[in-house]
Amino acid sequence: MKFLPSCHEVQTELTEYAEGAPPITRRAGIWVHLLFCRVCAGFLRGLRALPGVAKHSLAPPEVPPEAATRALADVQAALLKQKAP
Amino acid sequence: MMGTSSTETELIQRAATGDSDAFGALVQPHLALFHNGIHRILGNVADTQDALQDALMSIHRDLPRFEGRSRFSSWGYKVCLNAALMARRSRVRIHDMERAEPLALGPFDERGHHQEPDHLPEWQVEAQAHHLVEKQEMRECLTRALDELPDNHRIVFVLKDLEDWETEDIARHLQITAGTVRQRLHRSRVLLQARLRTYVLGGRP
Repeated sequence: MKFLPSCHEVQTELTEYAEGAPPITRRAGIWVHLLFCRVCAGFLRGLRALPGVAKHSLAPPEVPPEAATRALADVQAALLKQKAP
Repeated sequence: MMGTSSTETELIQRAATGDSDAFGALVQPHLALFHNGIHRILGNVADTQDALQDALMSIHRDLPRFEGRSRFSSWGYKVCLNAALMARRSRVRIHDMERAEPLALGPFDERGHHQEPDHLPEWQVEAQAHHLVEKQEMRECLTRALDELPDNHRIVFVLKDLEDWETEDIARHLQITAGTVRQRLHRSRVLLQARLRTYVLGGRP
């Protein structure tokens, strides 16, 4: 394995890299590659930003969907039934 | 109860004795949160409704054991995630095969480097996507992209990037290796990022 990985190799290993999983020489090679390759560095920024973007975008709506309200109503009805003599 | 308000404590006590109105009043403010957490994992309306119903029954059953060390919403949310994971385990998964999703976004030349990098657009997700986050279109795009992921990839993305679980915990829970977790996570992230290209770069994916 050569010291400086290609763009394809770097992109393939970025999640492993972000978690510190590869051996130190591999991490160093990726780190150097990222210093010089703006496309791969931007790709890494995109991967890092994704969880935040997804969390905001997929946050629960203020009003629960009808299916949720129905599920709660069914459970309440079951509780009433249990309590009935 | 440290993590709960006095009104909530009273509702918990009344709900635990079988008061269904109190149970409704207790759960209603968190219903959207509970539903959303389950839907992210199961990605299917009918399964989500069933799992939510199971979770609400579990919440009611376990109310006498709730000690108030955390907020009721956090405790209830955990119960909901567990119900979703249980439902996921028991259903027939026809969507679980390992697909050849890309691990990187090209195009690359024969040495594996970007072709004409000077002409490639730079990823600007963090700057522009946050600005676009409020847009309903973005939510729909992400929801569609999540739905496109195989079940065993979506669950990893949801637990890691949306629920902030540790990689080792996900591996233990799903009975796979940490390396497999990272690989599935990476595939999911690449696919989602490819879908977001439209929003981030202004072009078509």
